[in-house]
Amino acid sequence: MSSSLASRRSTGQPDIATATPPQPPRRPSQSRTRSNLSGWGFATPFLVFFLVFLVWPILYGIYMSLTGKSLTGANDSLIGFANYAEALADADMWRSLGNTLYFTVISTVPLVLVALVMAALLNVGLPAQWLWRLSYFAPYLLASTVVSLFFTWMYNPQLGLINDSLSKLGIPKVAWLNDPNVAMWAIVIATLWWTVGFNFLLYMAAMQTIPAQHYEAASLDGAGAWRQFFSITLPQLTPTTVMIVLLQILASMKIFDQVYQMTAGGPGGSTRPVVQYIFETGFTGYRLGYSAAISYIFFGLIVLISVMQFAVTRRRRA
Amino acid sequence: MKQFEFFGKQVSRRQLLTGTAALGSVLVAGGLTGCGGNAQASGPRDIGFWHLLSGGDGIKMQAMINRANQANPGVKVQPTVLAWGPPYYTKLAMASAGGRPPEVAIMHASRVPGYAPGGLIDPWDLDLLAEHGVTGDNFAPRIWEKSQQNGKLFSIALDSHPFVMFYNTDIAGKAGVLGSNGQLQEVTSPQEFMAMAREMQKVTQAHGLSFGYLGSGSQMWRLFYTLYKQHGADIELIPGQPMKVDRDAAIESLEFMASLFDDTIAAKAGDISTGIAEFARGGSGMLFSGVWELPTLKKAGLPVDAATLPTLYGTPAAYADSHSFVLPRQLNVDEAKRRDVYKFVSDVLKGSISWAEAGHIPAYQPVVQSHAYRDLTPQIHYANAADIIAYDPEAWFSGSGSDWQTYFAENVQNVLLGRDKAAAGWDAFERRTNTLLSRPNPV
Repeated sequence: MSSSLASRRSTGQPDIATATPPQPPRRPSQSRTRSNLSGWGFATPFLVFFLVFLVWPILYGIYMSLTGKSLTGANDSLIGFANYAEALADADMWRSLGNTLYFTVISTVPLVLVALVMAALLNVGLPAQWLWRLSYFAPYLLASTVVSLFFTWMYNPQLGLINDSLSKLGIPKVAWLNDPNVAMWAIVIATLWWTVGFNFLLYMAAMQTIPAQHYEAASLDGAGAWRQFFSITLPQLTPTTVMIVLLQILASMKIFDQVYQMTAGGPGGSTRPVVQYIFETGFTGYRLGYSAAISYIFFGLIVLISVMQFAVTRRRRA
Repeated sequence: MKQFEFFGKQVSRRQLLTGTAALGSVLVAGGLTGCGGNAQASGPRDIGFWHLLSGGDGIKMQAMINRANQANPGVKVQPTVLAWGPPYYTKLAMASAGGRPPEVAIMHASRVPGYAPGGLIDPWDLDLLAEHGVTGDNFAPRIWEKSQQNGKLFSIALDSHPFVMFYNTDIAGKAGVLGSNGQLQEVTSPQEFMAMAREMQKVTQAHGLSFGYLGSGSQMWRLFYTLYKQHGADIELIPGQPMKVDRDAAIESLEFMASLFDDTIAAKAGDISTGIAEFARGGSGMLFSGVWELPTLKKAGLPVDAATLPTLYGTPAAYADSHSFVLPRQLNVDEAKRRDVYKFVSDVLKGSISWAEAGHIPAYQPVVQSHAYRDLTPQIHYANAADIIAYDPEAWFSGSGSDWQTYFAENVQNVLLGRDKAAAGWDAFERRTNTLLSRPNPV
């Protein structure tokens, strides 16, 4: 309604309703009811799934975090915020949360930068484009179990391909998945190989929308390839970069599969992410209530990071 | 308006879409309220059976199930195989808590204390069991005792599967460490054991002993607990109290373990698969592993024999667990099916000679005392383990494939890699255990 008013004001046209001849009566109430009904019909499948699989679990999870509920069904009485108090004093929860944040930081940077470099390399017009695109993106199509298995074998301290290659170069063997100082980086390398293709694809698509005239004009003005990249390509990619960084942070925060399969959180708990700690306390440690409380602390953290990210990008746009 | 033909009638696009949407809603609503009929075709009764045996012993188990099914045409046991460790126990606990578990399942005896007090499994009826010819006298006292919780029989052991020592008789012979009976000479101290391993290393030029442990809490715990129990010491885990343990024995055991990984006696860093692969290709003379590895080693064509781990600290002991049958708690017990389960379990126990072929020591004594079992080598050379087995200390969080074993690895792996002092690693594990004991017991 407001948009039609606005358009009328701006164009100065006479009122359309008064300008057109009167229409025959259309029984508006019946027609609206019918269209409302079919609207609800379309929305119902989604609404039902939304309520049953999202809204209800969220509410039930909050309730559960306030109880001592166990997987065995024992003790589901309300205990207030005791689980939250216990979680905030739980060194293992903080450590796993720290591991998750550490992974997020050290994985997001290369996952964004490498994707950008790969897309830029391809954008300069290498021959056999399809081959490059395929080889950059193909790992993304693999299941996490497959990727974990590949890398577990390659990282094997005795028989693995990587240590074997290193020893041929005279570099001492590395206990990739068994050295607490190295294990997280080993997982980052595997994750980078596996998932960078998705970010690459987004960058690739964004680069192809930059008008060629910008580059033509720049080269007429005498700008070289580097200058063009930093003054045209990068600024034009800003919205894409913001989106990729946000998506990557959220994806990295949810890390679980690769770690569970490659190190099971070891060595010495140095790679255990918070999602695994939630799984352990709830499903193998039976304490569902406590596990739910940790989930909501983690959820709060994700919301906080998203809000901060949103605020930063909005300020940049304004 | 665009028209569509639908069963010979002209239908407008809007009518078609409205109809589709309505149909979608009905289907979704129907699906969620569960219109799954409960109709059952006549025929054999299906008995759900969950287990976690997926290797060579999984094939043996399937053969035993097939035999039981053939013997009882009215019953069809339907196995579901799930991955060992947390995936299995998590699903079993959830299915039982939800009241829709299988009729019968395999559990490690060491995990039963985490299930029985919480009511996830039902006790067995001794009278009904006796009707099928299975009684307490049929089991070794140590195993039968382990099957009880609060005076009730909560599990029926199919086997005991101890942690043992495999050895290559060719290499041992060349190293001069075989006795006159063709079996490995007896050693009674850590020093003697290390000297024997070094003799074998001189033959293989690689290592004397293979033991893969990296990333596996279970492996580290199996060897540690065997050595610890050989000190004649115990561990007690009582909720609300600090762990009761002989700290000196624990640290001595860890120090001995760490001293093995010197790249001469054993590889400094290896996981389970590299350990087995090394032994199987003759890169070492001995392998510490579970009895379930026997089919793999035999398949490799090795001249392999086996024994319980030598008694290095005075008291014979071997870490072990038992695959045991349990009755997950049903929402509504189908008495006929439950009787079928008793029949099935007794049939499997009586036919467990084929289970022995997979390396396990049958729990059912009439099988152990049979000629067929006595002819099985090297199984018969470690059959004495059934008398010295040490199950995990009881707690809701302990047992095979439990988080507790993972916590052990977290604190001890660096000790074995020579990066941490044994005392520091042990104390950290003890603190972690005490945290678990101080928390509310969820079972």
